[in-house]
Amino acid sequence: MSNFQIRPHRPARPLLYLAPAIALLAVFFLAPIVVNTVIAFTDMGANLRVGEFTFKNFERIVQRDARLPMVLLTTLIYVTATLFIFNVGLGALLAMTSTAIPERLGNFFRGLWLLPRMSPAVLYGILWIWIADPSPSGLLNQVTGTLGLPPINLRNDFPLFLVILANGVVGASFAMVILTSSVRSIPSHLANAARVDGASEWGVLRHVVAPALSQPIRFITIYQALSLMTTYEYILLITGGGPVYDSTPYALYIYRRAFENGAYAYGAALALGLMVIGIAFTLLQWRITNMRSTFAAPKIEVL
Amino acid sequence: MNKSLAFLATVAISALSAGLAHAEDIKIKISTLAERSAPGRVTNIEGAAEIMNKQFKAAGVDKRIVIEANNSTVKGWDDLALETLKALSVGQGPDIYVLPHEWIGQFAQDGYALQMDDRIASAPWVYGDILPVLWQSAKATDGKIYGVPQDAEIRMFFYNKDMLRKIGKDEAFIEGLPAKVEAGEFTLDDLTALSKEVVDGKAADYGMLHRPNVGIDYLMVFQSYGVKFMDEKTGKLVFPKAEMTKALGWYERNAKQGVTPVDNTAMSWDAIQGAFKQEKAFVFHQGVWAVAWQVGEKNGATWPTDKDGYFNKIGWIPAPAAEKGGKPANLSHPLLYTVNAKSKNAEIAADLVALATLPYFNNEHAVTSYHTAISNAQTAMPKYKDNWVLSAASPMMEHAQFVPNHTKFGSYNKVLFSGLQAVETGKMTAEQAVEFIADELELQFGGDIEIRDTASN
Repeated sequence: MSNFQIRPHRPARPLLYLAPAIALLAVFFLAPIVVNTVIAFTDMGANLRVGEFTFKNFERIVQRDARLPMVLLTTLIYVTATLFIFNVGLGALLAMTSTAIPERLGNFFRGLWLLPRMSPAVLYGILWIWIADPSPSGLLNQVTGTLGLPPINLRNDFPLFLVILANGVVGASFAMVILTSSVRSIPSHLANAARVDGASEWGVLRHVVAPALSQPIRFITIYQALSLMTTYEYILLITGGGPVYDSTPYALYIYRRAFENGAYAYGAALALGLMVIGIAFTLLQWRITNMRSTFAAPKIEVL
Repeated sequence: MNKSLAFLATVAISALSAGLAHAEDIKIKISTLAERSAPGRVTNIEGAAEIMNKQFKAAGVDKRIVIEANNSTVKGWDDLALETLKALSVGQGPDIYVLPHEWIGQFAQDGYALQMDDRIASAPWVYGDILPVLWQSAKATDGKIYGVPQDAEIRMFFYNKDMLRKIGKDEAFIEGLPAKVEAGEFTLDDLTALSKEVVDGKAADYGMLHRPNVGIDYLMVFQSYGVKFMDEKTGKLVFPKAEMTKALGWYERNAKQGVTPVDNTAMSWDAIQGAFKQEKAFVFHQGVWAVAWQVGEKNGATWPTDKDGYFNKIGWIPAPAAEKGGKPANLSHPLLYTVNAKSKNAEIAADLVALATLPYFNNEHAVTSYHTAISNAQTAMPKYKDNWVLSAASPMMEHAQFVPNHTKFGSYNKVLFSGLQAVETGKMTAEQAVEFIADELELQFGGDIEIRDTASN
């Protein structure tokens, strides 16, 4: 009898269980930040040598870099346009329309929109280069040609438009997937009740579906804005940030300064700037969109 | 019993033979740019290793050299130099690396290039006959030699004679073009006008095409306009605004008049070479080694491979003078074998470079990749003499100049290229682009560069 006893309570050793996660965070997140910060205060050039510790890089960013204002403007246009037109707008549209049609067809279309995300970035980039090929045999120009329009050269004349389009088509699927599940989780009796009360389909969309999407959209906005601000692989592949610096947002600008010119310290200082911008932006959005409520425990559980 | 004895014997023998085969492997890493038409930069080093291995064996030395090649696929020689510099900085560099000569200053300064003067003096059997002018290109700012010329070449504008015939030019004009360029009668603007005639006459889609990335070719045009990149006296890089405005103006006009496509700098090499080979482009600006793909099977067309047939179709000219009566300009851009001074096998690597530099080996590279000889002996060898491309190119070396061996020239050239891209794509006028370049140069190099109003002051 006395053998049957609950084992004495032992401390749970949270540190032990968290150690792998902490180690990963430390190696892949904290250490690079520390290294980057240190490099930002040096004069490290193409030969990776540190001659002195200096504030010169920051002075250069603030006072002398004539490219920077344009780059910041490009970033603003690129992030907001891609985010609102595609990553949120098109994503929400896709979620709502593909859930309104028969399920199989909806799944098929969602699958199609996921294709670009599944294909390797290099392949996707090359496809866009082919589409935008300036010769009359380019895919886009074949279309404009049949309409009797002169061939257009997107990569040279509208590079920013092209990278927004290319990034947007990939980016829309993220919101589509999340919002589809949100739409599906709306209990059907809510819509039915509304219809019984005489609501139109638009009214159902406006007053039942839209409110349910507002919180996930907030999350998508913050998350995608940050990811758009820091990624540049498609732009690098499609336009290389050019012509000159015309389609170079901030993240690509850092890359080009550091790895095309070998100005590693200057790149590190710019990267530090991106970190500051990113944190400020997140805090601002957190405040504006009342993000905290998204993470709160649900008040009711509807099954 | 018998079985286990046999087993033991097998084990013993295989262990022994394995031990013999892998006596001591000396791994030598060589790094170069992947170029389909120029495998010789690696195979020559491999050939040299084979000789040394045979000698080791004959002398009973228990060593074997194993060559490990890194054929990098980065965009161009400048990117390769940057990549190599990065690898060397973290101690993972190759033992031998091929370097565009203007980078030698940087690598020498950082201690990654083995100083070669004593070795050159003590090995006249290979180095005594190298063209003296090439040694100039291998010197760092301290006047010492840090690399061994790997190859030499000459740059030119290739033009398609068939297209000139198509628009009704007579043979006298077509064949007389090189002489007129030589005499300074045919200028860069004349070349633009002629290209426009060809395009307007529907003989070609493109008038002139040039490289899509950073390189040396366009610097020839800048030189024609009197641009000087370095002050010989102070050793400082200079940027003369007036001359550069004129030079970029030429590229600006070419793009505006539809002679050069506005997105030439965004085209792929394949598209550019294909356009010239398939006779959709009148002029292509590059160097003699381009003949390798011109007479090859690739790029969607085949051309005559004999001298008469080729020159009946294609002509060569240096960069014409900017103004009538001026001098045409030409550049040569030697590559160097450089030995990593930090390598623990630096001695062996240097020996391999010496062997691979012998006329026999260098000719193997020269004739297959269409690069000009680095030694006098090579030019006398039958294989070289029989190569009509190289014998035709040699006289053009007369005007050949080099770009300065300044530690920052590689980065400087990248900025020049972005200025060229800016005017060609129509994003800036020549004046704006010059201001843009000046601003970038000042931002990147500060006191290392002198921005001048004209080259002469």
